Amino acid sequence: MSAVEMHRVVGSRRWSAGRIARVSVMLLVAAFFVIPIIGFIAMAFRNQENVAAGSDGFLGLGGMSWENAVYSWSQIVGFGPGGGGLFPRWILNSLIVSVVGGVLGLVAALPAGYALARLRFRLRKAWLFATLLAMVMPNTVLVIPLFLEVNAIGAIGQLWPVAIIMGFFPFGVYLSYVHFMTTMPPELVEAARIDGLGEVAIFLQVGLPISKQVTALVAFFSFVANWTNFFLPLALLTSSQQNKTVSIGIQELIGASPLFNATVAAGLDVKLYMPQLALATFISMLPLLVVFLTAQRFLIRGQTVGAVKG
Amino acid sequence: MTTTLVKEEKRTAPPPRAARRRAPHRVEARGALILLSPYILLFLVAAAIPIGYAFWISLQKAPTLVNPQSGFGGLDSFVTVISDYRFVDTFINIFTVMIVWLPLMIIGIVGLALLVHASPGRFGGAMRFIYYVPGALAGIANFVLWVYLLNPSQSPIAFLWQGAGLDNLKEVVTTENLPSILTAMLFFQGVGTWIVIVNGGLNGISDEIFEAAALDGANAWHMAWRVKLPLIRPWIGYAALMNLAYGFQLFLEPYLLRQISAGSVDAEWAPTQLGYAFAFTNRNFPAAAAMSIILLVITLAIGIVIVFRSGLFGEKEERR
Repeated sequence: MSAVEMHRVVGSRRWSAGRIARVSVMLLVAAFFVIPIIGFIAMAFRNQENVAAGSDGFLGLGGMSWENAVYSWSQIVGFGPGGGGLFPRWILNSLIVSVVGGVLGLVAALPAGYALARLRFRLRKAWLFATLLAMVMPNTVLVIPLFLEVNAIGAIGQLWPVAIIMGFFPFGVYLSYVHFMTTMPPELVEAARIDGLGEVAIFLQVGLPISKQVTALVAFFSFVANWTNFFLPLALLTSSQQNKTVSIGIQELIGASPLFNATVAAGLDVKLYMPQLALATFISMLPLLVVFLTAQRFLIRGQTVGAVKG
Repeated sequence: MTTTLVKEEKRTAPPPRAARRRAPHRVEARGALILLSPYILLFLVAAAIPIGYAFWISLQKAPTLVNPQSGFGGLDSFVTVISDYRFVDTFINIFTVMIVWLPLMIIGIVGLALLVHASPGRFGGAMRFIYYVPGALAGIANFVLWVYLLNPSQSPIAFLWQGAGLDNLKEVVTTENLPSILTAMLFFQGVGTWIVIVNGGLNGISDEIFEAAALDGANAWHMAWRVKLPLIRPWIGYAALMNLAYGFQLFLEPYLLRQISAGSVDAEWAPTQLGYAFAFTNRNFPAAAAMSIILLVITLAIGIVIVFRSGLFGEKEERR
């Protein structure tokens, strides 16, 4: 915090030219980020007639109404064979794979992170290296090999392989490795050994109770990564309309929109224009918002942990 | 990208020194194996086995209508992939994006992180949060947002498209415009997360350094350029390499832009799309496997450089 005070001394409270330049650049960039998002959220509450006519004023804010959203929702829910209902199903599928994947990720990451941080064994460095490597590599690189593997066991179009694959979350292992390195001194492990606890018991009885925060962090990041994953469900689930996750479901909605594919759209009972697509996207982001708000206090504390200087 | 929100902050705190080193112990090793087993299992199922299997598949012959029998084909499928008329083009395509996007990204990340760090108190924190928000709209959500932005008939930046004489979405989303569109999309989506990360790196720098520089008469500009910038060089290198690796794996954006462009964007524009086409359009699994092995080797090489040379991971090991 003393950096903050020091900057005040250096920068003084005056509106110097440099300060004005800095603040205006930052506000300009902020506008660049915020305006599209506001316009997009407004879009979810507008209707197609006004959007097409270009009315509704600045960013379409004037045309927002709850009735529009209700109508759009009826169109989204109406999408699908035999009366629709695909969209809620997709949300449910996303919840299933994200939660199961997140739980698997946690069950694997916490003990693995502890073992890598506090136990001595051969290949410890090799596992640490493999984890870091898997963590920094984009996860799309493995999708085609994973498709070939799942195809070989005949499980394409099913949810369970997707959930298991999502359980592999090396970033979670790295987070809990850092957690146990910083919060659980080797002396504590040694003391527990002298008390006669086994290695697994030390983790369960000493390590786990101090791991609430890292649990929240790993759960949060893995849920978000699973929820937004696109390429993996695309390769594994496209063949089954019922078993799609919402990320690739929205792709199907885009493909059924008269804006992009008039032929497909003409054969549908529902009309999916930009307000409907925006609303579907908006709704698909709500679970992330809920998870973010729930995990927020842990996220903030997680940031301050790193602020302690060594 | 969103997953990197706090890892840098964590990384800035070196773990406490291990009191002493003990010789590997058999009981300890067995405990470690038990604790690692769920992770090892997932590692095998979701990484090691598929990679090994893909490698094996890539060495098979692709079954054809004339000869449905597959068998050992050596490096045939690698030859098929590399000699494919689209292979070189896909790499040229992503390079045309990266040559603009990467420098812009690095300048944006470093510039904004320094600005945020120079803005104490609530204003800096609020700005950092705002820059981060688009990063939370990962993947498909960011894409639908951009469908809205790119459409000249409803976008808040429609004046840009109309100014360029583009009247509808099909005229905006073309193969020629793809590098600029992707640059804008990726910058919008990615820069915020990295600002948070680099800002975490800046927060990890000892205050004494800034105090000493201030005593030497450094103004805000000197402080940023001569003091902070050299100190965050490892994070800049890390960001550059991570984004480079990400560039090779671009899929969602070009794939979906193709879908909304009514065919005016190439179907196999990025290397990952070519691999996808081998698997799902041609049903040539050996070629798809060979393509993914090629991409895997490239990203593995970048990954190894990141882990060993960025100075962010190795340092931690030495300090143990």
